[in-house]
Amino acid sequence: MTDQTVVSTPRAGGLTALRSLKRSQAVIVAALVFAGLMLLNSFLSPYPLSYFDISFLASGGATTAIAAAGQTLVIISGGFDLSAGAVVSLVNAVLATAMDPANMEASVPLWTAIGIAVGMGVGAVNGFFVAFMRLQPIVVTLAVMFIVQGLTLLIMATPGGFVAPSMAAVYLGDTLPGLLPAPLTLLGVLILAWLWLKRTAFGVALFAVGSDPEAARATGLRTRTVTFFTYMLAGGLYGLAGVFVSAQTGSGDPLAGNALLLPTFAAVVIGGTRLGGGKGGIPGTILGAYILMIVVNLLLSLNVSAYYATIAESAVLLIAVLAGSLSKDSPLSHRLGELKDAFAARRKGWLVSQRASADHRLAFTQPSGTAPKLTFMQRYGATLRHALPAWLCLVLVLIATQLVLGGVFTGWRYWDALLVLSSFLAILALGQGAVILTGGLDLSLPWCIALSGVLMTGLVGGQDAGLLVALPVVFAVAALIGLANGLGVVALGLSPIVVTLAMNGILQGAALIWSGGTPAGFAPPALRWLMTGKILGVTPVILFMIAFAALAILLLGRTVFGRHVYAVGNSALAARLSGVRSGRVIVSVYILSALCAALVGILLAGFSGQASLGMGDDYLLPSIAVVVVGGALITGGRGHYAGMLGGALLLTAMQTLLAGTALPFAFRSVFFGLVILMAVIALRE
Amino acid sequence: MIGRLLAGAACAIGLAGAAQAQDAEPYNVFLSMSYIGNDWQAEASNMIKALAASEDYKDRVDLEVQVAGPNAQRQIQQINAMVQAGADAIVVYPISPTALNSVVRSACSRGVTIIAYDAEITEPCAYNVTIDQAEAGRKTAEWLVEEMGGEGDVVMVTGVPGTSVDTARTSAAKDVFAEHDGINIVGEAVGMWSQAVARTELNKLMATRDWSDIDGLWMQVGCYTANAMQLEAGQAPEALLPCAGEGSNGGRIQMLPANAEVDGASSPYAPMGAARISYASPPYSGALALKLAVDKLDGADIPQHTTLPLPLVTSETVELCETGSWEEQKAGCNAFQPSLVSNPGWFASIFSEELPQLGLSAALVGQPER
Repeated sequence: MTDQTVVSTPRAGGLTALRSLKRSQAVIVAALVFAGLMLLNSFLSPYPLSYFDISFLASGGATTAIAAAGQTLVIISGGFDLSAGAVVSLVNAVLATAMDPANMEASVPLWTAIGIAVGMGVGAVNGFFVAFMRLQPIVVTLAVMFIVQGLTLLIMATPGGFVAPSMAAVYLGDTLPGLLPAPLTLLGVLILAWLWLKRTAFGVALFAVGSDPEAARATGLRTRTVTFFTYMLAGGLYGLAGVFVSAQTGSGDPLAGNALLLPTFAAVVIGGTRLGGGKGGIPGTILGAYILMIVVNLLLSLNVSAYYATIAESAVLLIAVLAGSLSKDSPLSHRLGELKDAFAARRKGWLVSQRASADHRLAFTQPSGTAPKLTFMQRYGATLRHALPAWLCLVLVLIATQLVLGGVFTGWRYWDALLVLSSFLAILALGQGAVILTGGLDLSLPWCIALSGVLMTGLVGGQDAGLLVALPVVFAVAALIGLANGLGVVALGLSPIVVTLAMNGILQGAALIWSGGTPAGFAPPALRWLMTGKILGVTPVILFMIAFAALAILLLGRTVFGRHVYAVGNSALAARLSGVRSGRVIVSVYILSALCAALVGILLAGFSGQASLGMGDDYLLPSIAVVVVGGALITGGRGHYAGMLGGALLLTAMQTLLAGTALPFAFRSVFFGLVILMAVIALRE
Repeated sequence: MIGRLLAGAACAIGLAGAAQAQDAEPYNVFLSMSYIGNDWQAEASNMIKALAASEDYKDRVDLEVQVAGPNAQRQIQQINAMVQAGADAIVVYPISPTALNSVVRSACSRGVTIIAYDAEITEPCAYNVTIDQAEAGRKTAEWLVEEMGGEGDVVMVTGVPGTSVDTARTSAAKDVFAEHDGINIVGEAVGMWSQAVARTELNKLMATRDWSDIDGLWMQVGCYTANAMQLEAGQAPEALLPCAGEGSNGGRIQMLPANAEVDGASSPYAPMGAARISYASPPYSGALALKLAVDKLDGADIPQHTTLPLPLVTSETVELCETGSWEEQKAGCNAFQPSLVSNPGWFASIFSEELPQLGLSAALVGQPER
């Protein structure tokens, strides 16, 4: 089942040692990468590394490391936690507002316990919905993330507050003056706790649940309880990270931890933990966090231009993950082996495609003359079951909007705005949805959108005629981006999250270099007319969207490509054995996703009249939320575009309702999270 | 190396160091930016680079630029690395006013001058260069109230929630509106200081409203977009709502009288006599921070907190520049030809009395004057 259970059988010493060395390959590679970067850095630095520098480096990476350790637990259990950064901010805000500014010697154990307890509380909420309500982790934690961010702003509206210096003295001081800084001790304790936890019944069950939940359940493990406690434990670690930030900064900032989310994922995967669960550990993650930190120093020592910084970081991420996974069992060597076999087979003339194209089908595969008549519900019941909740919630939101703001059922204005605004998410939903249907995830959308928009306005020269050149170029670039993503997933065998996260960084660099920091040019008049003009009172893009939605439903539901997408998502192996060229299917969905992102970039530029670099930032998490709220399974194989379309409309209607009220932003965030949560509860089987 | 020793010496002996600094090794100055994905940050960094490349500074300053992104933990690490790399001074756009305190304290204790621009660092040993954010909120709100004749419905578009800049501006403006019984805030959108976000949020707000339901707009960023949206909705240029908002060049051009002659204008980036007050955190604050840092390294006394004059431009005081040189701006012009500044979101408040090295090309492409 997992690597864990094998250990109990006694083997010859040498074999066990080799096995354990192989098992910790990723951690060893991470350690080597870290040591190499440290050496390179001290070689480049004009000054020798002093204890003082090490102490600072240790505290600089500690927050990411501790939060990423929590994320590691969740990922080993097969989950995903988007609330990590928000919890760090929450604990920071709670501590900084609750501590008495007059008390310089506040009790460190007490406040640490409070911080961890707050984190565990949020973790318990996550755990409850994921384990006992059996909702998808990515949506639950997304909703909780919005709620927690809102609560944090309610507790603390603006940076400030007070954290007693006694906290800093303990967390940033020295355990052994001149030898061992306190943050390293803290991380050491964390590693020891992990080594102990791994050997407990809970630890074994954690790996079991992550590698195969069904098998774990069948062997009598209480999988739900294990999942619940995993999220709670992870929440506690985010809480500890929040305590550390508080000690480190001596005050509070309601946004302190929010940007930590993506770095924690990067740290986890660099450290060799497998996304999807069942393999990994905290020591690797901690190394991963420090690799990310030392890269900051290296960029400085090498004087890398700011525009190239994200590209360099992405390269480090890819190289570290690739090196950690290289072995003769890795997908890369499998692919190379297959390529060699195919080459040899072609020389001998054995390749399937070289055989005469006669019909070799066996008799029983002939379709029978009389297909059983399916009733409407038999045919469409499952699709409706998953697609309807989003539409029902939409109706509720529309009624609420009518009651609170009015104007919904009395005029076209509201519908026009709703449809135009939701068009961006509806287009992204096709690409992201197709990727999610195959069991992947595309995190490169934000900068694919921005790069496409910036390229388009740069090339088009403000003239409609320019579109003839600009559009093919932009879509060709997007297709290449998708191809690279797909090949990274299929040929290199890397996790989609790693490939697309790295791609996002590379695209960010590319967009900055191309635009020189400020994008020039305008959207041509035709595009602006498409997004803001009127045909008989209707914005033209709405007509385009009707055609787009119809084509999207046909593409996923009625074409061979669509069926292959579902087949790969349900079981890549079964699809492959049935003759589906699964690699090509996966590459195509990433290309589709990049093309959709490019289209959104172009339309957004038309909508605003110009392109801006950050314009894709607000679309990543909603694009995932829309797909899942629309009834798709994040692990792939289930979902319908009609549902995703409903999800896009629901989210936009919800945002429109909240924007129209005079509620403070903090409440809006909480409400938004609650509605997402309600929508997925309605989806529960 | 020598610069570093010299910095220590200069601090110790005060003004006497200024004379020696002229022919010594250049100072090692680092710039830690937060983010480069928007116009303001790009302009600020262009102006800092232009100052460092100008005749007066090119032999005196070695400038290295790094970006921390939105993550405060990264900026902490970056400042640390800069101290380790032998910085004499570090110019910072701080991601958080409080998160950097401990690293700044330790940098100060090692003799490094830390100077923040636009946003603040609360650690007392750091130097800050900012505008008075509350004053900006108050002045613009007062203008709007007067323009509306003391009564009517206002829509607000705010900045990034949870930041001190947004809180200071928004609450100061709300205090002004609260003093007038006739003024009602009927909608509040979160604009994230971005024209693109302002457009989507305004679209959401206007989904259930008509422009004629509103009497005035108070925005941190978004007047240019709001005016464009009103034109798209069929409003006549004379009927545009009064708007208190950002200092983008697009907005300034719209403020020019409709018959003004400008090069390269195309609607909505065109003169239309819009009723506006335009304010901004000026992007030259980073360059001024660099100047102050060098002054400090030379041994001069610089104030702990430099409050920049608030650049306020109204429809009465707006004036078009021909070339955008520093001399010309000194004579009073404050908006630039669209043919020179193709991006309407570009910030136009780039003039500083104290920085004759920086004109339009400094902000556009990082080229100093002459």
